[in-house]
Amino acid sequence: MNSLTPPIQIENLTYAYGSAEAVRDLSLTVQPGRCYGLFGRNGAGKTTTMRCLLNLLRPQRGQVCVFGLDPAKHEVEVKRSLSYVPDQVVFYPWMSIHETLDYLASFRPNWNRQIEQELLERFGLDPMQHTGNLSKGQRTQVALIAAVCPETDLLVLDEPTSGLDPIVRREFIEAVIGAYQQGVPGHRTILVSTHLISEFEGLIDEFTIMERGHAVLTLNADEARERYRKIRASFAEPVPDIDLRAALRVRREGRDLELIVNGGGAELLERLRRQNPRALSTESLTLEEIFVATLKS
Amino acid sequence: MLLKINFKSGLPIYLQIVDQIKAVAASGALRPGESLPSIRPLAEELHVNRNTVAKAYSELESLGVIETLPGRGCFLKENHSALRKAVRRKLLTDEIDQAIVQAHHLQVSRDEFLKLVHERLNALDDKRRGHEESKENQKNQEVR
Repeated sequence: MNSLTPPIQIENLTYAYGSAEAVRDLSLTVQPGRCYGLFGRNGAGKTTTMRCLLNLLRPQRGQVCVFGLDPAKHEVEVKRSLSYVPDQVVFYPWMSIHETLDYLASFRPNWNRQIEQELLERFGLDPMQHTGNLSKGQRTQVALIAAVCPETDLLVLDEPTSGLDPIVRREFIEAVIGAYQQGVPGHRTILVSTHLISEFEGLIDEFTIMERGHAVLTLNADEARERYRKIRASFAEPVPDIDLRAALRVRREGRDLELIVNGGGAELLERLRRQNPRALSTESLTLEEIFVATLKS
Repeated sequence: MLLKINFKSGLPIYLQIVDQIKAVAASGALRPGESLPSIRPLAEELHVNRNTVAKAYSELESLGVIETLPGRGCFLKENHSALRKAVRRKLLTDEIDQAIVQAHHLQVSRDEFLKLVHERLNALDDKRRGHEESKENQKNQEVR
Protein backbone atom coordinates (compact mmCIF):
# COMPACT_ATOMS: atom_id res chain seq x y z
CA MET A 1 0.00 0.00 0.00
CA ASN A 2 1.37 3.43 -0.90
CA SER A 3 -0.16 6.87 -0.63
CA LEU A 4 -1.55 6.63 -4.17
CA THR A 5 -3.60 3.47 -3.53
CA PRO A 6 -7.27 4.47 -3.71
CA PRO A 7 -8.81 4.10 -0.24
CA ILE A 8 -11.88 2.55 -1.85
CA GLN A 9 -12.28 0.66 -5.08
CA ILE A 10 -15.56 -1.03 -5.93
CA GLU A 11 -15.91 -3.01 -9.14
CA ASN A 12 -19.18 -4.46 -10.40
CA LEU A 13 -20.42 -5.06 -6.89
CA THR A 14 -23.67 -7.01 -6.66
CA TYR A 15 -25.49 -8.04 -3.51
CA ALA A 16 -29.00 -9.42 -3.12
CA TYR A 17 -31.07 -10.24 -0.06
CA GLY A 18 -32.85 -13.34 -1.33
CA SER A 19 -34.26 -12.33 -4.68
CA ALA A 20 -34.19 -8.59 -3.90
CA GLU A 21 -31.10 -7.04 -5.47
CA ALA A 22 -29.87 -4.29 -3.15
CA VAL A 23 -26.74 -3.42 -5.11
CA ARG A 24 -26.39 -4.12 -8.80
CA ASP A 25 -23.17 -3.86 -10.77
CA LEU A 26 -21.86 -0.87 -8.81
CA SER A 27 -18.42 0.52 -9.61
CA LEU A 28 -16.73 3.51 -8.03
CA THR A 29 -13.30 4.68 -6.89
CA VAL A 30 -12.53 7.06 -4.05
CA GLN A 31 -9.18 8.81 -4.36
CA PRO A 32 -7.04 9.67 -1.32
CA GLY A 33 -7.89 12.88 0.52
CA ARG A 34 -11.31 13.23 -1.06
CA CYS A 35 -14.67 13.55 0.59
CA TYR A 36 -16.95 11.29 -1.41
CA GLY A 37 -20.73 11.40 -1.16
CA LEU A 38 -22.99 8.43 -1.78
CA PHE A 39 -26.45 9.86 -2.41
CA GLY A 40 -29.63 7.88 -2.75
CA ARG A 41 -33.13 7.50 -1.46
CA ASN A 42 -33.95 5.06 1.31
CA GLY A 43 -33.30 1.58 0.02
CA ALA A 44 -31.04 2.68 -2.84
CA GLY A 45 -28.27 0.36 -1.65
CA LYS A 46 -25.98 2.77 0.20
CA THR A 47 -25.81 0.87 3.47
CA THR A 48 -25.37 -2.50 1.74
CA THR A 49 -22.42 -1.04 -0.19
CA MET A 50 -20.82 0.20 3.02
CA ARG A 51 -21.41 -3.13 4.74
CA CYS A 52 -19.50 -4.86 1.95
CA LEU A 53 -16.55 -2.50 2.51
CA LEU A 54 -16.54 -3.39 6.21
CA ASN A 55 -16.79 -7.14 5.60
CA LEU A 56 -20.15 -7.24 7.37
CA LEU A 57 -21.48 -8.62 4.09
CA ARG A 58 -19.59 -10.58 1.42
CA PRO A 59 -20.00 -9.38 -2.19
CA GLN A 60 -21.88 -11.98 -4.22
CA ARG A 61 -20.36 -10.73 -7.43
CA GLY A 62 -17.68 -8.18 -8.22
CA GLN A 63 -15.18 -7.00 -5.65
CA VAL A 64 -14.42 -4.29 -3.15
CA CYS A 65 -10.97 -3.14 -2.06
CA VAL A 66 -10.00 -0.91 0.86
CA PHE A 67 -6.51 0.54 0.41
CA GLY A 68 -5.96 -2.18 -2.18
CA LEU A 69 -6.94 -5.01 0.19
CA ASP A 70 -9.90 -7.37 0.10
CA PRO A 71 -11.78 -6.85 3.40
CA ALA A 72 -12.68 -10.56 3.55
CA LYS A 73 -9.06 -11.72 3.28
CA HIS A 74 -7.39 -8.94 5.28
CA GLU A 75 -10.06 -8.15 7.81
CA VAL A 76 -7.76 -6.84 10.55
CA GLU A 77 -5.67 -4.59 8.31
CA VAL A 78 -8.78 -3.17 6.66
CA LYS A 79 -10.58 -2.53 9.95
CA ARG A 80 -7.44 -0.94 11.36
CA SER A 81 -7.25 1.47 8.42
CA LEU A 82 -10.76 2.84 8.74
CA SER A 83 -13.35 3.99 11.20
CA TYR A 84 -17.08 3.85 10.81
CA VAL A 85 -20.16 5.62 12.12
CA PRO A 86 -23.16 3.36 11.42
CA ASP A 87 -26.69 4.59 10.79
CA GLN A 88 -27.89 2.93 14.00
CA VAL A 89 -25.49 3.52 16.87
CA VAL A 90 -25.63 0.91 19.64
CA PHE A 91 -23.39 0.72 22.71
CA TYR A 92 -23.42 -1.45 25.82
CA PRO A 93 -25.95 0.52 27.86
CA TRP A 94 -24.37 -0.25 31.25
CA MET A 95 -21.06 1.32 30.30
CA SER A 96 -20.35 5.01 30.79
CA ILE A 97 -19.15 7.15 27.88
CA HIS A 98 -15.69 7.06 29.41
CA GLU A 99 -15.70 3.25 29.68
CA THR A 100 -17.12 2.88 26.19
CA LEU A 101 -14.37 5.03 24.67
CA ASP A 102 -11.69 3.19 26.67
CA TYR A 103 -13.11 -0.13 25.54
CA LEU A 104 -13.13 0.98 21.88
CA ALA A 105 -9.62 2.46 22.23
CA SER A 106 -8.34 -0.93 23.39
CA PHE A 107 -8.88 -2.28 19.85
CA ARG A 108 -6.86 0.51 18.27
CA PRO A 109 -3.09 0.88 17.92
CA ASN A 110 -3.47 4.64 18.15
CA TRP A 111 -5.95 6.85 20.05
CA ASN A 112 -5.71 10.62 20.32
CA ARG A 113 -6.73 11.51 23.92
CA GLN A 114 -6.45 15.21 23.23
CA ILE A 115 -9.05 15.07 20.46
CA GLU A 116 -11.23 12.87 22.67
CA GLN A 117 -11.18 15.52 25.39
CA GLU A 118 -11.72 18.36 22.93
CA LEU A 119 -14.74 16.69 21.35
CA LEU A 120 -16.31 15.65 24.67
CA GLU A 121 -16.17 19.30 25.72
CA ARG A 122 -17.36 20.58 22.37
CA PHE A 123 -20.40 18.28 22.48
CA GLY A 124 -20.99 18.97 26.17
CA LEU A 125 -20.93 15.26 27.05
CA ASP A 126 -20.42 14.04 30.61
CA PRO A 127 -17.97 11.10 30.40
CA MET A 128 -19.50 9.51 33.51
CA GLN A 129 -22.96 9.20 32.00
CA HIS A 130 -24.13 5.72 31.01
CA THR A 131 -24.61 5.32 27.26
CA GLY A 132 -28.04 3.76 27.92
CA ASN A 133 -29.25 7.18 29.06
CA LEU A 134 -28.06 9.07 25.99
CA SER A 135 -30.26 10.64 23.34
CA LYS A 136 -29.89 9.56 19.72
CA GLY A 137 -27.89 12.73 19.00
CA GLN A 138 -25.55 12.08 21.92
CA ARG A 139 -25.00 8.46 20.89
CA THR A 140 -24.04 9.65 17.41
CA GLN A 141 -21.65 12.17 18.97
CA VAL A 142 -19.97 9.40 20.99
CA ALA A 143 -19.75 7.29 17.83
CA LEU A 144 -18.09 10.18 16.01
CA ILE A 145 -15.55 10.63 18.82
CA ALA A 146 -14.80 6.91 18.63
CA ALA A 147 -14.34 7.23 14.86
CA VAL A 148 -12.10 10.31 14.92
CA CYS A 149 -9.74 9.43 17.83
CA PRO A 150 -8.02 6.43 16.14
CA GLU A 151 -6.84 8.87 13.42
CA THR A 152 -7.44 6.46 10.58
CA ASP A 153 -6.94 7.44 6.95
CA LEU A 154 -10.53 6.57 6.03
CA LEU A 155 -13.76 7.61 7.72
CA VAL A 156 -16.98 5.92 6.64
CA LEU A 157 -20.20 7.68 7.66
CA ASP A 158 -23.54 5.99 7.01
CA GLU A 159 -26.44 8.48 7.14
CA PRO A 160 -24.73 10.10 10.12
CA THR A 161 -27.06 13.04 10.60
CA SER A 162 -30.50 11.68 9.78
CA GLY A 163 -32.92 11.88 12.68
CA LEU A 164 -30.80 14.43 14.53
CA ASP A 165 -31.82 17.98 15.38
CA PRO A 166 -30.36 20.84 13.30
CA ILE A 167 -27.92 22.01 15.97
CA VAL A 168 -26.48 18.53 16.49
CA ARG A 169 -26.22 18.13 12.71
CA ARG A 170 -24.22 21.34 12.38
CA GLU A 171 -21.93 20.40 15.25
CA PHE A 172 -21.41 16.98 13.71
CA ILE A 173 -20.26 18.43 10.40
CA GLU A 174 -18.06 21.02 12.08
CA ALA A 175 -16.40 18.25 14.10
CA VAL A 176 -15.75 16.23 10.95
CA ILE A 177 -14.13 19.27 9.31
CA GLY A 178 -12.28 20.48 12.38
CA ALA A 179 -11.21 17.30 14.11
CA TYR A 180 -11.07 14.59 11.46
CA GLN A 181 -9.71 16.64 8.60
CA GLN A 182 -6.79 17.96 10.61
CA GLY A 183 -4.42 15.21 9.51
CA VAL A 184 -1.88 15.48 6.72
CA PRO A 185 -3.72 17.06 3.77
CA GLY A 186 -4.55 14.44 1.20
CA HIS A 187 -4.45 11.61 3.73
CA ARG A 188 -7.86 11.87 5.30
CA THR A 189 -10.52 10.35 3.10
CA ILE A 190 -14.24 10.42 3.86
CA LEU A 191 -17.04 8.33 2.41
CA VAL A 192 -20.43 9.61 3.50
CA SER A 193 -23.83 8.30 2.53
CA THR A 194 -26.75 10.62 3.03
CA HIS A 195 -29.98 11.91 1.68
CA LEU A 196 -29.57 15.16 3.64
CA ILE A 197 -27.37 16.43 0.88
CA SER A 198 -27.45 20.17 1.45
CA GLU A 199 -25.68 20.03 4.80
CA PHE A 200 -22.73 18.17 3.32
CA GLU A 201 -22.64 20.23 0.15
CA GLY A 202 -19.52 22.21 1.05
CA LEU A 203 -17.67 19.11 2.15
CA ILE A 204 -18.30 16.89 -0.86
CA ASP A 205 -15.61 16.75 -3.56
CA GLU A 206 -17.18 14.02 -5.64
CA PHE A 207 -20.36 12.00 -5.48
CA THR A 208 -22.32 9.08 -6.86
CA ILE A 209 -26.10 9.09 -7.03
CA MET A 210 -27.51 5.58 -6.52
CA GLU A 211 -30.92 4.37 -7.55
CA ARG A 212 -32.13 0.79 -7.09
CA GLY A 213 -28.63 -0.43 -6.32
CA HIS A 214 -27.11 1.13 -9.40
CA ALA A 215 -24.92 4.20 -9.93
CA VAL A 216 -26.86 6.64 -12.09
CA LEU A 217 -24.49 9.61 -11.91
CA THR A 218 -20.90 10.11 -10.73
CA LEU A 219 -19.43 13.59 -10.88
CA ASN A 220 -17.06 16.06 -9.33
CA ALA A 221 -19.14 18.48 -7.21
CA ASP A 222 -17.77 21.72 -8.71
CA GLU A 223 -18.16 20.33 -12.21
CA ALA A 224 -21.72 19.19 -11.45
CA ARG A 225 -22.72 22.66 -10.28
CA GLU A 226 -21.18 24.13 -13.42
CA ARG A 227 -23.04 21.75 -15.73
CA TYR A 228 -26.45 21.59 -14.11
CA ARG A 229 -28.21 24.91 -14.46
CA LYS A 230 -31.64 26.31 -14.15
CA ILE A 231 -32.61 28.87 -16.77
CA ARG A 232 -35.63 31.13 -16.38
CA ALA A 233 -37.03 33.27 -19.15
CA SER A 234 -40.19 35.30 -19.42
CA PHE A 235 -41.55 36.79 -22.58
CA ALA A 236 -43.90 39.62 -23.47
CA GLU A 237 -45.84 37.18 -25.65
CA PRO A 238 -46.68 33.54 -24.98
CA VAL A 239 -43.51 31.44 -25.01
CA PRO A 240 -42.27 31.19 -28.62
CA ASP A 241 -41.60 27.87 -30.25
CA ILE A 242 -37.95 27.11 -29.57
CA ASP A 243 -36.00 23.89 -29.88
CA LEU A 244 -35.60 22.85 -26.23
CA ARG A 245 -34.66 19.23 -26.75
CA ALA A 246 -31.28 19.86 -25.13
CA ALA A 247 -32.98 20.58 -21.80
CA LEU A 248 -33.36 17.93 -19.10
CA ARG A 249 -36.67 19.34 -17.94
CA VAL A 250 -39.00 21.99 -19.33
CA ARG A 251 -41.75 23.84 -17.52
CA ARG A 252 -43.92 26.31 -19.36
CA GLU A 253 -46.49 28.49 -17.77
CA GLY A 254 -48.06 31.11 -20.01
CA ARG A 255 -45.25 33.55 -20.72
CA ASP A 256 -42.73 31.99 -18.38
CA LEU A 257 -40.29 29.24 -19.13
CA GLU A 258 -38.12 27.29 -16.74
CA LEU A 259 -35.49 24.86 -17.95
CA ILE A 260 -33.05 22.54 -16.29
CA VAL A 261 -30.02 21.73 -18.39
CA ASN A 262 -27.15 19.33 -17.99
CA GLY A 263 -24.39 21.03 -19.98
CA GLY A 264 -25.03 23.07 -23.09
CA GLY A 265 -26.58 25.88 -21.03
CA ALA A 266 -24.66 28.56 -22.91
CA GLU A 267 -26.12 27.63 -26.32
CA LEU A 268 -29.64 27.44 -24.95
CA LEU A 269 -29.24 30.82 -23.27
CA GLU A 270 -28.08 32.29 -26.56
CA ARG A 271 -31.06 30.79 -28.40
CA LEU A 272 -33.45 32.20 -25.80
CA ARG A 273 -31.75 35.59 -25.90
CA ARG A 274 -32.42 35.86 -29.62
CA GLN A 275 -36.15 35.66 -28.86
CA ASN A 276 -35.86 38.96 -26.92
CA PRO A 277 -37.18 37.79 -23.56
CA ARG A 278 -38.22 40.41 -21.02
CA ALA A 279 -36.20 38.63 -18.38
CA LEU A 280 -33.58 35.92 -18.59
CA SER A 281 -31.63 34.47 -15.71
CA THR A 282 -29.59 31.42 -14.92
CA GLU A 283 -28.26 29.81 -11.77
CA SER A 284 -26.55 26.57 -10.88
CA LEU A 285 -28.38 23.72 -9.24
CA THR A 286 -27.26 22.69 -5.78
CA LEU A 287 -26.26 19.05 -5.30
CA GLU A 288 -29.63 18.36 -3.73
CA GLU A 289 -31.42 19.84 -6.74
CA ILE A 290 -29.19 17.81 -9.05
CA PHE A 291 -30.14 14.72 -7.05
CA VAL A 292 -33.85 15.44 -7.45
CA ALA A 293 -33.50 16.34 -11.15
CA THR A 294 -31.56 13.14 -11.84
CA LEU A 295 -34.03 10.84 -10.12
CA LYS A 296 -37.13 12.52 -11.53
CA SER A 297 -36.08 12.65 -15.19
CA MET B 1 -14.00 39.09 7.55
CA LEU B 2 -17.29 37.53 6.53
CA LEU B 3 -17.29 35.18 3.57
CA LYS B 4 -20.30 33.50 2.05
CA ILE B 5 -20.39 30.51 -0.25
CA ASN B 6 -23.09 30.48 -2.90
CA PHE B 7 -23.64 27.01 -4.33
CA LYS B 8 -25.87 28.44 -7.04
CA SER B 9 -23.20 30.64 -8.58
CA GLY B 10 -21.66 27.79 -10.56
CA LEU B 11 -18.17 28.93 -9.51
CA PRO B 12 -15.92 26.34 -7.82
CA ILE B 13 -15.97 26.86 -4.05
CA TYR B 14 -12.23 27.54 -3.76
CA LEU B 15 -12.49 30.27 -6.40
CA GLN B 16 -15.35 31.93 -4.50
CA ILE B 17 -13.07 32.09 -1.46
CA VAL B 18 -10.22 33.47 -3.59
CA ASP B 19 -12.45 36.13 -5.17
CA GLN B 20 -13.98 37.20 -1.87
CA ILE B 21 -10.64 37.54 -0.10
CA LYS B 22 -9.35 39.57 -3.05
CA ALA B 23 -12.44 41.80 -2.73
CA VAL B 24 -11.97 42.17 1.04
CA ALA B 25 -8.36 43.21 0.42
CA ALA B 26 -9.32 45.69 -2.33
CA SER B 27 -11.94 47.27 -0.08
CA GLY B 28 -9.41 47.89 2.65
CA ALA B 29 -11.27 45.75 5.19
CA LEU B 30 -8.09 43.73 5.41
CA ARG B 31 -4.77 45.57 5.21
CA PRO B 32 -1.27 44.49 4.26
CA GLY B 33 0.36 42.74 7.18
CA GLU B 34 -2.95 41.75 8.76
CA SER B 35 -3.66 38.09 9.27
CA LEU B 36 -6.26 35.94 7.58
CA PRO B 37 -8.30 33.44 9.57
CA SER B 38 -6.52 30.12 9.72
CA ILE B 39 -7.75 27.27 7.59
CA ARG B 40 -9.49 25.19 10.25
CA PRO B 41 -11.83 27.82 11.75
CA LEU B 42 -12.66 29.21 8.32
CA ALA B 43 -13.52 25.74 6.99
CA GLU B 44 -15.65 25.02 10.06
CA GLU B 45 -17.45 28.34 9.79
CA LEU B 46 -18.21 27.97 6.08
CA HIS B 47 -18.96 24.23 6.41
CA VAL B 48 -16.60 23.50 3.56
CA ASN B 49 -13.87 20.96 3.14
CA ARG B 50 -10.58 21.96 4.69
CA ASN B 51 -8.74 21.00 1.52
CA THR B 52 -10.89 23.51 -0.36
CA VAL B 53 -9.83 26.37 1.94
CA ALA B 54 -6.23 25.16 1.73
CA LYS B 55 -6.50 25.19 -2.08
CA ALA B 56 -7.90 28.74 -2.02
CA TYR B 57 -5.06 29.91 0.22
CA SER B 58 -2.39 28.32 -1.93
CA GLU B 59 -3.97 29.95 -4.99
CA LEU B 60 -3.92 33.33 -3.20
CA GLU B 61 -0.30 32.71 -2.31
CA SER B 62 0.69 31.91 -5.87
CA LEU B 63 -1.13 35.07 -7.00
CA GLY B 64 0.99 37.01 -4.51
CA VAL B 65 -2.02 38.24 -2.53
CA ILE B 66 -1.05 36.56 0.72
CA GLU B 67 2.03 35.01 2.25
CA THR B 68 2.35 32.13 4.67
CA LEU B 69 4.76 32.51 7.54
CA PRO B 70 5.45 29.03 8.91
CA GLY B 71 4.00 28.61 12.38
CA ARG B 72 2.40 32.07 12.32
CA GLY B 73 -0.30 31.83 9.69
CA CYS B 74 -1.30 33.66 6.53
CA PHE B 75 -0.96 37.41 6.04
CA LEU B 76 -2.06 39.89 3.41
CA LYS B 77 0.91 41.05 1.36
CA GLU B 78 1.88 44.58 0.39
CA ASN B 79 1.88 45.42 -3.34
CA HIS B 80 0.96 41.95 -4.09
CA SER B 81 1.36 41.36 -7.79
CA ALA B 82 4.71 39.98 -8.85
CA LEU B 83 3.67 40.16 -12.50
CA ARG B 84 5.04 42.69 -14.95
CA LYS B 85 2.80 45.64 -15.70
CA ALA B 86 2.15 44.50 -19.29
CA VAL B 87 0.94 41.11 -18.03
CA ARG B 88 -1.27 42.70 -15.39
CA ARG B 89 -2.83 44.97 -18.02
CA LYS B 90 -3.44 42.01 -20.31
CA LEU B 91 -5.20 40.08 -17.51
CA LEU B 92 -7.45 43.01 -16.75
CA THR B 93 -8.11 43.63 -20.44
CA ASP B 94 -9.52 40.11 -20.76
CA GLU B 95 -11.91 40.73 -17.89
CA ILE B 96 -12.98 44.10 -19.29
CA ASP B 97 -13.58 42.56 -22.72
CA GLN B 98 -15.92 40.06 -21.14
CA ALA B 99 -17.83 42.81 -19.36
CA ILE B 100 -18.08 44.73 -22.66
CA VAL B 101 -19.54 41.70 -24.41
CA GLN B 102 -22.05 41.31 -21.56
CA ALA B 103 -22.93 45.01 -21.83
CA HIS B 104 -23.62 44.59 -25.54
CA HIS B 105 -26.00 41.70 -24.91
CA LEU B 106 -27.72 43.52 -22.08
CA GLN B 107 -28.14 46.60 -24.28
CA VAL B 108 -26.09 48.83 -22.02
CA SER B 109 -24.65 51.70 -24.07
CA ARG B 110 -21.04 52.90 -24.06
CA ASP B 111 -21.87 55.97 -21.95
CA GLU B 112 -23.92 54.00 -19.47
CA PHE B 113 -21.15 51.41 -19.24
CA LEU B 114 -18.48 54.04 -18.53
CA LYS B 115 -20.75 55.73 -15.99
CA LEU B 116 -21.28 52.41 -14.25
CA VAL B 117 -17.51 51.79 -14.10
CA HIS B 118 -17.05 55.18 -12.42
CA GLU B 119 -19.86 54.46 -10.00
CA ARG B 120 -18.35 51.13 -9.00
CA LEU B 121 -14.87 52.62 -8.57
CA ASN B 122 -16.37 55.34 -6.36
CA ALA B 123 -18.28 52.75 -4.35
CA LEU B 124 -15.03 50.89 -3.69
CA ASP B 125 -13.31 54.16 -2.68
CA ASP B 126 -16.16 54.90 -0.28
CA LYS B 127 -15.80 51.47 1.25
CA ARG B 128 -12.06 51.95 1.68
CA ARG B 129 -12.64 55.36 3.31
CA GLY B 130 -15.20 53.78 5.62
CA HIS B 131 -12.69 51.16 6.72
CA GLU B 132 -9.94 53.80 7.16
CA GLU B 133 -12.20 55.86 9.39
CA SER B 134 -13.38 52.96 11.50
CA LYS B 135 -9.77 51.91 12.03
CA GLU B 136 -8.77 55.49 12.96
CA ASN B 137 -11.62 55.60 15.48
CA GLN B 138 -10.52 52.29 16.92
CA LYS B 139 -6.99 53.63 17.32
CA ASN B 140 -8.19 56.82 18.98
CA GLN B 141 -10.31 54.86 21.38
CA GLU B 142 -7.36 52.67 22.26
CA VAL B 143 -5.24 55.78 22.89
CA ARG B 144 -7.89 57.16 25.21
